This record gives sequence, C-alpha cells and structure tokens, in this order.
Amino acid sequence: MNRTKLKVSAAAVLAITASLAFAQKVESPVPIGVAVAQTSNTALLGQEQVIGARFAEKFLNARGGINGTPFKLVFQDAAGDENSAINAFQNLITKENVVGIVGPTLSQQAFAADPIADRAKVPVLGPSNTAKGVPQIGNYIARVSAPVAVVAPNAIRTALRLDPKIKKVAVLYAQNDAFSVSETGTFQETVKAQGLTVSTLQKFQTTDTDFTTQVTAVLNADVDLAIVSGLAADGGNLVKQLRQLGYKGLIIGGNGLNTSNMFPVCQKLCDGVIIAQAYSPSQPSAANQVFVKEYRAQYKKDPPQFAAQAYAGVQVFVEALRAVDRKKKIGTWDLGDLRVELNKQILAGKYNTPLGLISFDKEGEVVQKDFYVAQIKMKDAKTGSFVFLK
Amino acid sequence: MELSSFVQNLMNGLAIGSVYAIFALGYTLVFSILGIINFAHGAVFTLGAYFTYTLAVGQFENNGLLKGINIFPDGSPFSGSAVMFGLATILGACAAGAVAVLIERLAFRPMRSRGADPLLALVSSLGVALVIVNLIQLLVGAEIYNFPSDAYGEVRPALSFQIGDKVVIIRTVQLIIFAVSLVMLAVLGYVIGRTKVGKALRAVAESPSTASLLGISVDRFILITFFLSGFLGGLAGTLVGTAFGVAGPYFGVVYGLKGLAVIVLGGLGSIPGAVAGGLVIGLAEAFVPAEYSAYKDAVAFALLFVILLVRPQGLLGRNLIQKV
Repeated sequence: MNRTKLKVSAAAVLAITASLAFAQKVESPVPIGVAVAQTSNTALLGQEQVIGARFAEKFLNARGGINGTPFKLVFQDAAGDENSAINAFQNLITKENVVGIVGPTLSQQAFAADPIADRAKVPVLGPSNTAKGVPQIGNYIARVSAPVAVVAPNAIRTALRLDPKIKKVAVLYAQNDAFSVSETGTFQETVKAQGLTVSTLQKFQTTDTDFTTQVTAVLNADVDLAIVSGLAADGGNLVKQLRQLGYKGLIIGGNGLNTSNMFPVCQKLCDGVIIAQAYSPSQPSAANQVFVKEYRAQYKKDPPQFAAQAYAGVQVFVEALRAVDRKKKIGTWDLGDLRVELNKQILAGKYNTPLGLISFDKEGEVVQKDFYVAQIKMKDAKTGSFVFLK
Repeated sequence: MELSSFVQNLMNGLAIGSVYAIFALGYTLVFSILGIINFAHGAVFTLGAYFTYTLAVGQFENNGLLKGINIFPDGSPFSGSAVMFGLATILGACAAGAVAVLIERLAFRPMRSRGADPLLALVSSLGVALVIVNLIQLLVGAEIYNFPSDAYGEVRPALSFQIGDKVVIIRTVQLIIFAVSLVMLAVLGYVIGRTKVGKALRAVAESPSTASLLGISVDRFILITFFLSGFLGGLAGTLVGTAFGVAGPYFGVVYGLKGLAVIVLGGLGSIPGAVAGGLVIGLAEAFVPAEYSAYKDAVAFALLFVILLVRPQGLLGRNLIQKV
C-alpha cells in the first residue's frame, strides 16, 4: 500500500517537474539575447554591435514591438575568447530564457558557442561571423554578415583599379584567429585569380604588439600591396608599424579592421587603408535612412558596418517574431516550440534592413545583393571616416 | 641572408633586446637582494606605461570607470613636445617605482618578518600582480591605448641607408629605446659599482645580517632596491608602449615571462648577465625567419632551454659552491 502511494507520489512529482520543464511560457517583454564582446580587444568591434542592437531595440519597440508586445534585449558579455562566449550563450539559454541570440562577435567564438545553442534548439543570428562554415554549424545557426569569400575580393579589385601596376603582394594574417585564417585564404585565392604574386606570407598572433620582423620582411620583399587580416587592435598596430618603417604601397584591411575604433590605434597612419564593406551609410533602403539619421543625431558620425549588422540581426528576429505572432499570439507559445517555429520563420522571410534587402538560404547563409569598398581618410590623429569608393 | 636583412634584424634585435635587459634588471636587483623572484614585476611594467599615458594624454575613452574623465581639464601639460613626453616618462617610471615599494611593504616584508618560506613571498607577489592587472581593467578597460604618434616629435624613420638594392630603416622609437636603455644601464652600473648606496646594496645582497651589524639599514636598502626595480620596469613599459602600443592590462604578462627567461639565461642575480640575456633573446627573436615570426616567443624559451642544458648557471652566472 505504502509502496503504491510512494510510486504515485513519485509519478506526480515527475509529472509536475516535467510539465514545468517542458511547458515554459514566453516572458513579456519577449527576451532576445545579445552575446557580443563588451570587454577584451574584441570590444573594439563589440561596442559598435551593442550600439546597433540598442538602436534596433529602441526603434522597433517604438513601432509597436511584436504586434503590440514589447521585446527586450538581454546582453551578456562574450568577450573575445571561446569560453566567455560559451558561458554567455549558456546563461542566455538557461537563465534568461531568450527566444534567440544575436552573437557572438568572432567566427572563432561561433564555432565554439553556436553548437550549444543548436543542441538547445535556440536560433542564432551571427552579426559579424564571416568565416567559411558558420551557417553549416547547425540547423539553428544563420548569419546576417555576408561571408568573407563574397566581400573580400572586392577590395583587391578596387586596389587594382587604383593602382594597375600592382604585381607583388604581401599577405599578413593572425594565425590564432579562425576568421582571419579563413579570410586570408579568400584573399590569397583572389590574389592568384587576378594574376598577382604573393611575394611574402606573414603570420602573427592577435595578442602580438611587436611586428618589426613581419614589417621588415614586407619591406625586403619590395611589394606593391599589403593585405592584413587581423582584428582592430593588432591589425591597426601592424598598419602603424608598416607605415612607420617606411612602407609606401597600398594596404588592404580585412573585416576585422572595419571599424572606426581602429583610428586611435594607427592614428594618422590609418590613412588610405582600403576595406571591403557589406554595408554603406548611403544604402538607399528606408530602414537604413532612418537608422543613419538616428545614428548621426546621437554620435555625430556615420554608423559603422558592425552597428548596422547588429541592428539587422535584431530586426530579423523581431520581424520573424511578428510573423509567428500573426499565426498564434506570442504570449501563448511554449518557449521551446516558439524557438523551433521562430527558426523556421527566420529562414522563410525577406527583410528590408539597413544592409538592404536580405534573406537566407536553407542553411542559414545570408543572401545579400549590395557590397561596397571604402578607404580610410583621417582628419586628425583620432577622427577619420570611411570614404566609399565608386 | 642578405647583408641588408642582417643589419635590419640586428638593429631590431638590439632595440627590443635592450628593453628586455632593463626590464630584467629589475628582476635581478630584487633577486640579488632577497633571493626571490618578484612576480608582480610584469604588472609594474604595465603600470609604468599606463602612468605615462595618463600624464601624456590625460583621458581614457573606452569602458573603464575612468572613461571620459579629463585628468587635465585644459589639455595635458605633458604633451606637445619630446621634452615634456620625456618628463612624463620619467614621472611614470617614478610612480611605478613607488608602486614597487608598496608591493614590498604589502607582499614581501610581512613574509620576511615572519621568516616565511621564499615560495610564499613568490605566491604573494603573484597575487599582487593579479590584483593590479584587474584594477587596471576595472579603471581603464581592457582596450589598447596608444601614445600620440608624435610623442617624440614628427614620426618618420630616424635613419635609413642603402645596402645593395635594399634600404635599412630604423624607427625613431627604436633609437630612443636603445639610447635610453644604454644610459640606464650605464647609470645603474655606476650607482651599483661606484657609489656608497651601491656598496651598501652589495653588502645587503652579500649578507643582510652582516650589513646590519655594519650599521646599514637593511629594510631601507631593500626599499631602495624595489624602487629602482619598479623604476626600471615602469620605464621599460613606457618604452615598449611607445613602440608598439599599450596592449591592455595583460600587456606585461608576456614581458614578465620573457624577463624571467632573460635573467635565468644570463645567470640569476648577475647584472651583466641580465644585459647579455636580454640582448641574446632580443636578437634571437629578431633573427627568427619572418614566416615563422609568430612563433618568436617559443623560440626565446627554446633557446633558454638549450642554453640551460649546456650551462645550468646561465651565460654569466657563477657555479654555486656548496659548503660542507
């Protein structure tokens, strides 16, 4: 008898626990996670992403949020390393009960943290992961940042237009960063495809500060073009030392250098660096014009690519949530079911973002039409701008 | 290797090697007096760079507690000329020296007065290092700070000369680093070798109890040693910072490890050994083939390993004679 009671009680406890675990309702305001770098060297990029995401939160909530239901962004610092990104993702998924995550900042972190979200069936939108293979991490992983293989070649083609005499190229990359390794592969393929020669191939670490050896090798190779794949801090420092030691040729920077936070690093010596972009403030979409106007009003400068992409990431989530809400009110969804449905909806939709019109293929790769190339023009030691080249 | 590459690498190696040397001298001074390694020396190196940056720029901009605070509301009096920047460098190094004195009072003296095992003092200094690094991160953020590019006046290569069809270029900052390091080594050599303070320091290093019997205040000279050590560490931090940027709170960690390699390589407690060790490691790094230069830190330690197999006492260290 007692044993029967015990079994019944145990079954009841299990049933209650199971129902609590599996029937979790979506909170209001609807939480969307943002796991980008707010500290470490990568914060030079992450800070811009925080600004872009906050803009989207303010603007889209002012426009009614998710058909009248507000949403909130839950920020977790993913710093610049894999462990921090993993912790941030775990906190967002298990403690904050977010419906999806925008992040992390680096491709290297994406390869470590995205599988956790994928296993938990939580949709992820990479705001700046451009390495090869990110959307293929899992069914729940997509990105709004166009892959480096699509964006980077434009920079080399532009450099050749500026200086048709370019023959010999130096390629330098951060070997301890997955994104830089992926990006340099694309650059090297493009160099060869354009009939140019890689005269010297130099590696460094993102933590390096002394690039004298690499720069000396570049100078000795007597090249016409130097291509740098790294992050803002090390890449900026490398550009500075190239110029200080007398390198006078063109310099192409990869996506890691695509931030005005590089300006204080190489200061006036940043001048003339060419960077391919997946975003331009002059992009004519209505969403972009509003974003640019608001950004200029607050920061007195044009928005950078990383801010625009983070904005687009949040916007895609909100618009997909609106579509889901039209099928069945957000507040009535079970959290697990909503995450699954939201992921399907993200891949099915088309979005008019500051990046222009974007959509996703079935793997989660962004489909984007417009790309640009910009050249850095420094006004003084700290302020400069990306001037878009035709 | 072409002659031009050889000369260029030689110059690069001498510049960075001389910084390693003055940084490692700080380690050596403390080791020769107390017989222990001060693990907080790398953090003092970092602080020296930040102190000078504070004086020369006066404002931090990223995401620490000091973000946006203008230390000098009307612009820093320590910017605008090489002379003022030099003054900021000296003051920054003095402040780093003061921190080293504080470290001695907090981390070393209490252990010494209790006759604790030297290993405990070493761990205690490691704790201080971590506290300092985290404090920097809290106050000024984890970002890179760069000295004004015209800190030493107009930026342009100081020297460039042709060898064959190649040009050898030496940066202004490299020359300054090398010159300052040489001056510091000469001054330190004079102080230790030719002055009363130096004699007293050597007496304390030889036997603290005997020095005490001779009327030398051992505690005071230990403090002087720590100040000199911190001054050298802080100065090295600024020199590296002006050359390559102040790479965040953990900036001194790699240099701290390299400094250890330098003093072990040169011979523990040997001042000429620290200089020789610094130059050897600097030159070894500079001559790493360019395509493998990302591994230059590993090369420095591999070299250390090889030399210790051949000469366990280091390049200029003395064989320990066991009295029985």
